[in-house]
Amino acid sequence: MHLEATNRTPEVSISESALEMKGECYPEDITAFSEPILESLEEKLEPCDSYSVSLELRYFNSSSAKFFFDFFEVLEQAAEGGKSITIEWRYRSSDNSMKEAGEDFEEDMDKADYNLVEI
Amino acid sequence: MDSHDFHKLLLSRGTFFCYSGLLSEEVLSAISGIVREQVTDIDHDEDLTTRVFGIFIEQAQNIIRYSDERLAQGGIGTVAIGHTSDGFVVEAINPMKSDNMLSLKENLDKLQQMQPKDLRKAYKQRLREGPPEGSKGAGLGFIEIARKSSKFEFDFVESPELLFVLKAWIDP
Repeated sequence: MHLEATNRTPEVSISESALEMKGECYPEDITAFSEPILESLEEKLEPCDSYSVSLELRYFNSSSAKFFFDFFEVLEQAAEGGKSITIEWRYRSSDNSMKEAGEDFEEDMDKADYNLVEI
Repeated sequence: MDSHDFHKLLLSRGTFFCYSGLLSEEVLSAISGIVREQVTDIDHDEDLTTRVFGIFIEQAQNIIRYSDERLAQGGIGTVAIGHTSDGFVVEAINPMKSDNMLSLKENLDKLQQMQPKDLRKAYKQRLREGPPEGSKGAGLGFIEIARKSSKFEFDFVESPELLFVLKAWIDP
């Protein structure tokens, strides 16, 4: 799956072994945006032994926060199920909001290998 | 009020962007890019301008979802952004049902008292618990506004219909 970035949604690439998301996230319809992504991710996670995720977001609104929380839950559950899950939360060094957001999500990550990456 | 007084009024309070009328997601899509540009033109501090923009989006979406005066596509209200020597201010005004006033006041009073670390805790708790009943989003909008602003104020004004006023300041 590949979604081009729009002014309100990030670029999304989902392959058999990796997911990348880059840009801003404040969709007109968060459900229409997020449901296919979560579905595709779950589908890709099922048969794999390891999966890597990279997120580089500049901004996301409060409705998207719930989506990301659910998104990370799916990944953590996969890790708890024995899969090797690596997550990179990438943020610019000047971006305190995104750094904090990455730390917020980190708290619920236990089995998944979650890393904050300053760029 | 004459048109030129209206113009001068906006300028005198430092308002550089104002939208009044039907706010829908479509309208927001059309104006958010311009708002971003204008805010960034005034101040190059990316962290600051992202906070301003974030608060603008949350306030606009509150109007879209919850304004008591509605059309199919969204809600009626006003959202305005200003800049003075004290920094940025984002304000929103929309009609609301008087039934909701007490619980909203209680919620916002609580948020106003919270320190940053308590706001962060409240945010994470709400994320885990999920949105409250009747919420059209994640139920995080006001917490987000409280977190990102330097301070915020709110008021309920009978004019004669009940108007909800929310004002958030963002300074460096």
